[in-house]
Amino acid sequence: MCDTCGCGSDSTTFRKHGEDHHHHGDGHSHNHDHHDHGHSHDHKHTQDRTITIEQDILGENNLLAQRNRGYFEAKNVFAINLVSSPGSGKTTLLEKTLATLKEEIPSAVIEGDQQTMNDADRIAKTGVPVLQINTGNGCHLDAEMIHTAYGELKLQDNSALFIENVGNLVCPALFDLGEDKRVVVISVTEGDDKPLKYPTMFDAADICIINKIDLLPYVQFDVEKCKEYALQVNHHLEFFEVSATTGEGMETWYNWLKEHAKV
Amino acid sequence: MHEMSIAMSIISIACKEAEKDGASSISNIELDVGKLSGVMIDSLNFCYESVCKGTLAENSTLSINEVPARASCKKCNHTFEIDSFMALCPQCESYEIDILQGRELKLKAVSVN
Ligand SMILES: Nc1nc2c(ncn2[C@@H]2O[C@H](COP(=O)(O)OP(=O)(O)OP(=O)(O)O)[C@@H](O)[C@H]2O)c(=O)[nH]1
Ligand SMILES: [Mg+2]
Ligand SMILES: [Zn+2]
Ligand SMILES: [Zn+2]
Ligand SMILES: [Zn+2]
Repeated sequence: MCDTCGCGSDSTTFRKHGEDHHHHGDGHSHNHDHHDHGHSHDHKHTQDRTITIEQDILGENNLLAQRNRGYFEAKNVFAINLVSSPGSGKTTLLEKTLATLKEEIPSAVIEGDQQTMNDADRIAKTGVPVLQINTGNGCHLDAEMIHTAYGELKLQDNSALFIENVGNLVCPALFDLGEDKRVVVISVTEGDDKPLKYPTMFDAADICIINKIDLLPYVQFDVEKCKEYALQVNHHLEFFEVSATTGEGMETWYNWLKEHAKV
Repeated sequence: MHEMSIAMSIISIACKEAEKDGASSISNIELDVGKLSGVMIDSLNFCYESVCKGTLAENSTLSINEVPARASCKKCNHTFEIDSFMALCPQCESYEIDILQGRELKLKAVSVN
């Protein structure tokens, strides 16, 4: 835990499935060291003054994201950032997708959760390389964490990288990871007005997967209405309606992946 | 709460610039925060207070300019102010709009001494 700001980002850990040891990484960049004034400044300025900065606050993350993007491009890695509320079915969707496509599309997975190796352990059963990031108190992944994670994973050329973000429909919206496509997953048990309640996330996504359609007979969820709301927020969105457990609708998602991951 | 990481980035950028300038403390930090930036101002203020402790910016104030959001209609080219992502064009009622302004999250200036 960082005692300068108490943010807890220093508790971010990176672990491969089956490995006991883990690495600590500082997910955020801090400049605390520079703030310890052991050295003396030459105090030529004593007046109050204003320094113009005009800098994007997320600029550093955006820059690191662009570095990741360049790396992915050079290696022809198709990177996907999956975001959703907790429990929408991101891991189930990945398990199913990898089980079906891993021979055709060499893949790797980065799992983001605040705690536990559970999701990485589930993915590892498919035989696909996976790295778990535990963000501790952190509510989202950032570009620096992804950079550390793919360094550990040693990505193959001509492959796909699936990043499962921390289950949270708010915070991950602001943090570009360098992905090619951002996929927001919503399940039919969540209410069809989710896009209206969390517009920032839908605005920042390219693809919207409506999952758990096998449950449609049991819940009040109007798929068309949900799509209409989502399009009101972001008219570029592309939709897939699937059930990750029964496999219904997954074929079109697989075809989309095969078309986009040029491996 | 991503406002915590945002607050940390603000302090980090501000302190770096203040040090470059040889300042001994920061009294105020000025931001532009767009209406559609995804940042809650209350939450940011709260995080800021805890993050600035022990830095050059300890006891500084945060001045936030809220930037209104504007969009242009893809169908009729009308430009207008909006207050959410799901606004529709007041002229032709289309939802196909491009957001021109309102996503800002910018550190404008730092007052030091
Ligand atoms: N009926 C049904 N259940 C599903 C479907 N997809 C996932 N589930 C169930 O939903 C629950 C949560 O699924 P996960 O895949 O763990 O969800 P997640 O989005 O990865 O969750 P977090 O990582 O905690 O955010 C599990 O009990 C899954 O079996 C589906 O298509 N239909
Ligand atoms: Mg999961
Ligand atoms: Zn810290
Ligand atoms: Zn957050
Ligand atoms: Zn119009």
